[in-house]
Amino acid sequence: MHNKFRKRYSYWLLTTPGLVVFLLVIMFPVVYSVSLSFTEWSGYGTPKFVGMKNYIDILSDSIFLHGLRNNLLIVFISVLGQIPLGFIFAYILHRRMVSGGRFFQTMIFLPITISSVVVALLWNQIFSASGIFTAFIRIITENPRYVIGMFEQKNLAIVPILFVLLWMHTGTYMVIYLANLQKISPSIIEAAQIDGASEGQTLRRIILPSMFPVIATTAIFAISGSLKAFDLIYAMTGGGPAHFSEVIAIYMYVNTFKYYKYGFGSAASIIIILLSVGLILILQFFTRRIERRNG
Amino acid sequence: MPVRKSLVPWKIFAYSIMVLFTILAITPLLWLLTSSFKPHAEIVRNPLGLPRTWYMENFRRAWTQGSLGVYFMNSIFYSVIATSTTTLFALGSGYTFAKFNYRISKFFFALYTLGLLITVHSVIVPLFVLETYIGIGNTRLGVIIPYIAFGLPFAVYLATGYLKGIPDSLEEAALIDGATYMQIFQYIIVPVATPIIATMFIYTFLSNWNEFVLVLTLTSKTAIRSLPVGINSFAGGMSRDYGLQFSALVIGTIPMILFYLIFHEYLERGFAAGISKE
Repeated sequence: MHNKFRKRYSYWLLTTPGLVVFLLVIMFPVVYSVSLSFTEWSGYGTPKFVGMKNYIDILSDSIFLHGLRNNLLIVFISVLGQIPLGFIFAYILHRRMVSGGRFFQTMIFLPITISSVVVALLWNQIFSASGIFTAFIRIITENPRYVIGMFEQKNLAIVPILFVLLWMHTGTYMVIYLANLQKISPSIIEAAQIDGASEGQTLRRIILPSMFPVIATTAIFAISGSLKAFDLIYAMTGGGPAHFSEVIAIYMYVNTFKYYKYGFGSAASIIIILLSVGLILILQFFTRRIERRNG
Repeated sequence: MPVRKSLVPWKIFAYSIMVLFTILAITPLLWLLTSSFKPHAEIVRNPLGLPRTWYMENFRRAWTQGSLGVYFMNSIFYSVIATSTTTLFALGSGYTFAKFNYRISKFFFALYTLGLLITVHSVIVPLFVLETYIGIGNTRLGVIIPYIAFGLPFAVYLATGYLKGIPDSLEEAALIDGATYMQIFQYIIVPVATPIIATMFIYTFLSNWNEFVLVLTLTSKTAIRSLPVGINSFAGGMSRDYGLQFSALVIGTIPMILFYLIFHEYLERGFAAGISKE
């Protein structure tokens, strides 16, 4: 009996500190945010209940819709750009197709250790009139007056940012896949190749199926990370010019902390979570189907 | 074994894509480094070449004018304290979730997993209001507590997964010998979990060091802000001096690159142990 008490006591002693901080800082505010999202509130006085008004206003705001489109492009480049590229790099390194793999691996991973703000300011310099990108294009096109014009075009303003995101995050996926590729027993691959399987067959029949769960998990991280994208874009363009490179997180931030529309901002942040959960459910639907087909 | 002929096109492809991306990854960084040693006028006139003289003045001015010393110390303070606390709390929870067969653990673990999906943005308004209400708004404590919290979900996920893989026999033998659970935690679990502790620590440290939004919104005094926010102020009206901006960026970059070069093996090993399946 005494021992049972001691066990229970130790359990709570070890679990409570983390739980208290977590519930207080994350779970309680999320619930609070949901209730704020149905109100109008500027930070003073009592919030005024307005029902679904914030959500309706947001969903019919063209700035929000452009931000949503940009966010979906970020999801697209993460899931269909960073993940496949990261996998290709990991595969090349794992199969030792190049010598000096250690060097390549370190160089490709380096960008991820740098803070988003630094990356943002660095690339702003690169794209600036005295930047290395501009200098390079001027040499190639022999046009000494070239300056990048994409940022001023509504539909293209997000493109340089997508490129920077690809530059920044591909290394993470490479490292995760490489670590997991190393867990596949080499004897299985050798046996297949002795039996005459080509490189392509080994990849399709053995490596991809066993890596599938890891790829699916990283895709979940990629989706939720893409919808959260803030730091880099905030420091690079602030969503501008004229909201061309807006994303939902910046839309939420500006409305909340510049215009003091706390209820409106909360609704925008709840939309981020709902989108995240929605996209992840769609992803899981497809992964289940693929897993079932693979048996 | 002779090189298989079928491998040749693969190798050409492999080398070209690897070399291309590596050039893409390091050229901006090398350009940043060389530019940081040029005065403003030389950066504008000659963006590509090496600096004519290695001009150190940028660094001295960035450090003093931009208060980078203050930001730097704050970053170290926040990262070390929040990361250590997160790691300790996560290990405690990981141990109980993995080894005490209590049903409520499943619920707690699910809550933490849900936490992985929640963004800083969805809690920042209530957090801001809450902190002002209880009087820790715009203080160091008001930054550290959220840092601890946001580190927890992933760290608990890693710790629980790792400790589940450790055989129960060690712990059971110690229990029979009369050890308390806290002694087991201290003398058996902590030493056995060293690899995952290293991973949790490094990963959490990196994300705390680079964190931006929380400090930006929850603080407004220079004295308690951290490096990313400090560096961001170089982009605004504060200076059109590119040399100054570049040296500030270098100061923000070098510590993490060194940190990564020293610890990358632990980080990579942990990714293999932690992120394998949902």
